[in-house]
Parts: sequence; C-alpha cells; structure tokens
Amino acid sequence: MNNFDFEVLVVGSGAGGSMAAYELTKAGHKVLMLEAGRDYDPKTETPMFKRNGEAPLMGAGNSDKDFGFYDATVDGGWQVPNEPYTAADGSEFLWWRARMLGGRTNHWGRYSLRFSEHDFKGKSRDGLGADWPFDYDDIAPWYDKTEALVGVCGTNTGLDDMPPSSDGILQPPPKPRITELLIAAAAKKLGIPVAPMHRAVLTRPLDNRAACFYATPCGHGCSIGAAFQTTTSLIPMAKATGNLQVITDAMVKSVDTDENGKVTGVSYVDKKTSTVHQLQAKVVILAASACESARLLLNSKSARFPNGLANSSGQVGKNLMDSTGANIGAMVPALQGRPIYNEDGHTANHLFIPWWGHKAQERKELDFPRGYHFEIGGRFNEPSSGIAGNVQGYGADLKRQVKQNYGAYIGFALRGEMVPNEHCYMDIDPEVKDKWGIPVARFHWKWSEHELKQVEHGLKTAKAIFAQMGADVGELPTPEQAILKGGEIIHEVGTTRMGASPQDSVTNQWGQSWDCPNLFVMDGGVFASNPHKNCTLTIMTLAMRNSSWLSSQLKQGAI
Amino acid sequence: MAKDQNYTADQHQMQYKSGMTRRDSLKLMMALAASTLLPAVLAGCDSAPVSTTDAGADAAKATTEHWPELKLAPITAPGYGKDPNLILPPESPWPLTLTQAQLTLVAVLSDILLPREGSVPSASEVHVPAVVDEWVSAPYERQQQDRLTILSALTWIDDEAQMRFSKTFVALTKTQQKAIMDDIAFDTAETPVQFKRIATAFGRFRSLVLAAFFCTPEGTKDIGYVGNVPIGGDYPGPTKEAYAHLDKVLADLGLTEYAYPIEAG
Repeated sequence: MNNFDFEVLVVGSGAGGSMAAYELTKAGHKVLMLEAGRDYDPKTETPMFKRNGEAPLMGAGNSDKDFGFYDATVDGGWQVPNEPYTAADGSEFLWWRARMLGGRTNHWGRYSLRFSEHDFKGKSRDGLGADWPFDYDDIAPWYDKTEALVGVCGTNTGLDDMPPSSDGILQPPPKPRITELLIAAAAKKLGIPVAPMHRAVLTRPLDNRAACFYATPCGHGCSIGAAFQTTTSLIPMAKATGNLQVITDAMVKSVDTDENGKVTGVSYVDKKTSTVHQLQAKVVILAASACESARLLLNSKSARFPNGLANSSGQVGKNLMDSTGANIGAMVPALQGRPIYNEDGHTANHLFIPWWGHKAQERKELDFPRGYHFEIGGRFNEPSSGIAGNVQGYGADLKRQVKQNYGAYIGFALRGEMVPNEHCYMDIDPEVKDKWGIPVARFHWKWSEHELKQVEHGLKTAKAIFAQMGADVGELPTPEQAILKGGEIIHEVGTTRMGASPQDSVTNQWGQSWDCPNLFVMDGGVFASNPHKNCTLTIMTLAMRNSSWLSSQLKQGAI
Repeated sequence: MAKDQNYTADQHQMQYKSGMTRRDSLKLMMALAASTLLPAVLAGCDSAPVSTTDAGADAAKATTEHWPELKLAPITAPGYGKDPNLILPPESPWPLTLTQAQLTLVAVLSDILLPREGSVPSASEVHVPAVVDEWVSAPYERQQQDRLTILSALTWIDDEAQMRFSKTFVALTKTQQKAIMDDIAFDTAETPVQFKRIATAFGRFRSLVLAAFFCTPEGTKDIGYVGNVPIGGDYPGPTKEAYAHLDKVLADLGLTEYAYPIEAG
C-alpha cells in the first residue's frame, strides 16, 4: 500500500461507501477504499448520445446486459460471472450487483425522496416491523447537507409524505411533460395529488459538475456529472483531499478480529492475481450493499463469533426487505397523434404520484398498513426494440398506426413499502461457493398479505386514473400475478438493521455494531424499515451523518 | 452490426445483399417483381411443402392448417459478455445464420410491411434484414425463442405459397403475395382458425421489422423523434401546440378544472 497509513478501511465504493470516504477524508482521516469490481472512468466509458440502432439488438436487454446494452452496469446485473447466489426451495429472489468503481450509483434511477416522520416510526403507529432509533428531526439537517452536496432537483410540495428541504437546498425541477399533465388532472379529479419528483440530477451547475442538458438516458451513466454518481463526484472529491486511496478488483472475504473480539482489519482476494491479502485497520466500515455486507459478516466466523461477526442478536441477514413493485399501463386514445416535441427532459419522471393515504391509514380506512407511490411514464421515446406496440396489417396503414400510437402509451410503476417478515431473509448456502472460495448468499422470500393488499389497492387506483383519461387497462391481474419478484426493484435493505437495543438489532443509530465498536455498516443493511421512497438518498444521508459521528469519536479517542 | 457484410452472390442476381446500396436494393426489388422463380432452400427446415393443386392462379385457395415443425440447432456462439465496449459496440457480435434465400424472403416481406413512401426509404433500403439476421442469430433466450417463431413463419409463408401457387413467396406476383398477406397480417378475433398461429408468428416478425426500421436514423426521423440533442439552459417543456392539444384533451375528458398549474413563460 505504498506505506499509506490509513485510519479507516471502507468496503465498497457505492452510495454509502463513497459518502463515508468523502466525509471522513474531508475531516482529515486517511481512508483506504476496497472495491470488488474494476476501475471505471465515466469520462471515457459513458456511451453519451449513443442510439439504440448503433448497438447490438437495438440495445435490447439480455442475460449479459439485463437493462440493455448501454446500461452503465459493468460485470453485473442479475448475475455476476463466477459469483452465484442461491434461493431456498420455494423462494425466488433477484439480486442486482455491479462490479465496478461507484457500484450501482453509476446506473441508478436517481429518485431521491426523503423519508418522512411516518417512515421512521412505523411500528409505533401500527405495531409492525421496527422503529428507527431516531426521529425525522434528527436526520432532517443531514438530508439538507446531503441534498446540497449531491444536487437534487424538485420542490417543497407541502404534502405530508414529502417533508420540506430547507430554503435554497433543492434545485429547480424541469417543466412537466404533456403526459404527466394529463395524469395529474385525472388523478386530481380522484383526490390524488401529483407532484414534482425529486431527482439527483443537477439543473444548475455544482462543483465540477455540469447542469443537465436534457439528453441521453441517465441509465447510461453521465459523463458530465449532472446525474449523480459517486465516480464523478464523491470519489474524485475525496481523492482531491489527498486522504483517499482506492484498490479495485479487491473482493473482501472476511472481517478479521483478535482474541478480544476487536476488529483488526479484513482479508481480501485480489481478483487479478487470485491471491489473498490481509489489511490492518483501526476502523472498518462495511458498505458493500446490504446483502454483500451481511454475507461478509456471516462468513466472518471465529471461536468468539461462531454465528458470524456482529451477530449476537441473530439479526444479521434477517429483516430482508425490497420495495413492492407492479406495472400497469394502457394506450390513451386521447393522446394518439398528439403534437410531437422533445420530451426527453431529464429522461425520467418530472412528476410522480406520492403516497396520499397517511390520513386514511390513521383512520383505519385501508386494509394495508404501509404506503406506495407511482412512478409515471409515457413520452416520445427514442425508438427501441419495443416500439411496434399492438398493430395490424402491412404497408402505409401499418406505419400510420405506429405513428398514431407514438407517445400515446402511459405506464405506471408502483413502488411500495413492505413490512419485514420471518420468511424473508438471507443466510449462507452450506454447499455453494463462488470462484474465490467464498460461501455464497442464499435467499428466502415470501410476500405477505400486507404487500398483496397494497398492490391490489394500487392496481385498482391506477385503473381508476386511467379511466379518467379515457383509457382502459383491461381486466386487472391478481396481486399475486402483478407483484414483481423479491429483489426485482433493487431496493434490498435491512439485513444488518439498526435499533435501540443490542438484543434485536445489529448496529446502533450510528451504524456502529453493538458487538464490535470499531466496525460500522453504512449501506442499506442498516435500514430498520423500507419506506416506499427509494433507498439511496437515505443511505447517503446516514453515511454522512454516521461518518461525521465516527470522525468525532476518532478525534476524541473514543474508538 | 453487420451492415456492411456482403453475402456471396451466386447465379441468382435477385438476392438480398446485406449492406447493399439503396440503388442496388431498388434493382433487387424490380428484379424480384419480375421474377418467376427463386430457390426455396431453407436451412434447418425438415419439412417439405405439401403437394399442391394446379398452380399459377392469383385467386387464393383455401388451405388447411399447417405448421412446419422446425428442429433448429441451438445457437452456441457466446454473447458479447457483461463488459462490452459501449463506445464502440461490437460490429458483428456473433455469426449470422440466415441463408441467402431466407434473407431475400425477409427483404421482400420487410418491404411489403414498410415500402418506400416518397423520400422515406423502405425497410430493406435501410438494411432491416441485417438487423433481423443479427437478432435471430443471437445466443440469448428471447432471441432464440424469436428465432424459432420467425424461421417457422418464413417457412410457413413459402409452404403456403407453394400450396397455393406452386412457387416460393418471392416468386409470386404482387397480387398473389397480397392474397397471402391479407390472410396472415391481421391477428384478430376474426382471424380464421387455420391462420391463427401464423398470424401470431408473423406479428412477432412484424414487430421486429418495425423496430429495426424505426431504430435507423431514417426511421427515427420518420417517426418524428427529436430528442437526444443537448439543450442549453432549462428544459423548454411542451410547445404551444402541444399545450393547446392538451387543453382540448382535458376539455373532452371533463378534466379542465383539475388541470395542473403551469408556470407562465
């Protein structure tokens, strides 16, 4: 390590790990970051402006590139070569991973909604799941700091599901599109609000990052830094302090401890040489993603920690949650043949439908406990392999049909909160190991009535909104048919949850493991619940807050 | 993409050549229109056309349900992997598998689906058959399913042409081709039972041809997509014309009073 005398070792370079590295290096701490994937340079590798027609298969997704040829994900997707995972009998779970510097932040949807007071105290309200060990007011200033650093566009709506940012924090949102305006009117007639989405996309320049120029899909990655990813922001900013070094192709296989149970460092496989190396560290931060960090802890067994490290509560790997997901859509005849203009915008939702049912849930009017939102889509997209739609015939009339339908299709994607249940967890497969000899994660999964009833409500609501637009979604599927698979929304969290007591949680509110004071978790594993509002902003906010606390502890000599 | 690949031209000049120029393509179409016979050799097809009655008539003869049970060898070529170069995509990511006869049939069918309209080129003029070839030759699950569907449809269409007119489809007159198209290009509740399966399979082929066409620069221009260009300053939002259309839609749907507030400017 060229005698780099680091104080803190961070495992993972995604949302949590990069924010931790940023915060700590700015505070003067030397940090070494390990990333299991390869180095990645968005400046030279991002396929900006590339058209579908230039790619194999018109860019369509497949088992090599699940989200399409141009998706930024490197060496990952639903499967990582030579690094399998398994599911228990009767369970199905999908686990999205990336093996690249910056992890999944290079391709994420950039939706960045704050959790609200309801979200942190769900159990106090309805008796289900777990409360978080702090209140919204404790984290609100950190949301401000994170939003200002990351760059989030949106507005303060005054809606109870969307707590306000402090003045001057949010950047202005882009104007709504025609499809979104139609949905907004249809929803409003039913008493359902529609609001500007909050997105980690710059509409004003920030630091060395340019403002969005409203072209080229964010999922390709963003070489100009407008769409937030750690590889154009936090990692270079942390490196600029001189306090960060990064090792890529470094797959951590265990967290190591001494005879007193104190964490001493990690062992990792250098993927390029297949050799194992040991590193000593004063503090280890796991931010490898919820399930990768939990896997690491469960695989770090010793005489003192026979059930895995930091697992005296038995909660490591438990409480696995994803968001619920369901899709519904229809052709809207009133939009057929509408005037064409450039509808790219920032290439995702300008408006969305936030959860509007907190009051109804307080009044016990709904038969499911937790909320959801709709992401709403429909625009003049760049033609892709799916452009044909439902058409008939041939010749001039065929082409007329395709043109008539262009921009007239609207789709809703439901994203809802699930309640943790005893059937949803991960453990270590007793048989299967990856290429590096590391035992792999095994998933167990079953949706409960809470999620199915929520999805049923969402489907009926969507059908009613479509009806207001003069569109027929047809016969609704059952919720069992409609709900997407566990993991498919890529919001998997909860496997090292934080809490108020070492008996039923893995870390305290600072992400510090109850069992090992110099071991922290700063990814989505620490979530005590999984609100419907997309996890990344809160992962980053917690990582910033908790790294700040860690820094103060280090400076006080408390760790 | 294998757009510049040329297939060996043998004794028949009336063959689709991937990567051919627009003028070549027009020549091909004229030749095809005037042709009387083209080879009907379809690789991988183990079925033989059923014997036909008297040939040559333009009138469609009723055929009963038939289906070529193709036994296709699986595609075993590797894919482009999980870390391909996104800036310079692979030109020819896997070996192409359509025969010359299949490519020619694809070209003729593509141009029936999407003929030239004024200055807008036809499907074959913008190399749609090459994209179809790349698609059905790909090693991935969805494309392998489409391969069976589409090759079965191509075989069915030639079988049908033989049964009705004792010629391959590309050798038929336009009227004869249209007679078959009218039977299989509409997949609706009224589709006769013997055409149900081919109509569905042909629909998949049609979707692929449409996608391949509209993903070309010419097709993208034709459909009117105007995005993917950098904009300085704020996103301008809808045009006046687009807002005016929305106002009418809202009025028609009784939603005017619920309109979302739009900032002036």
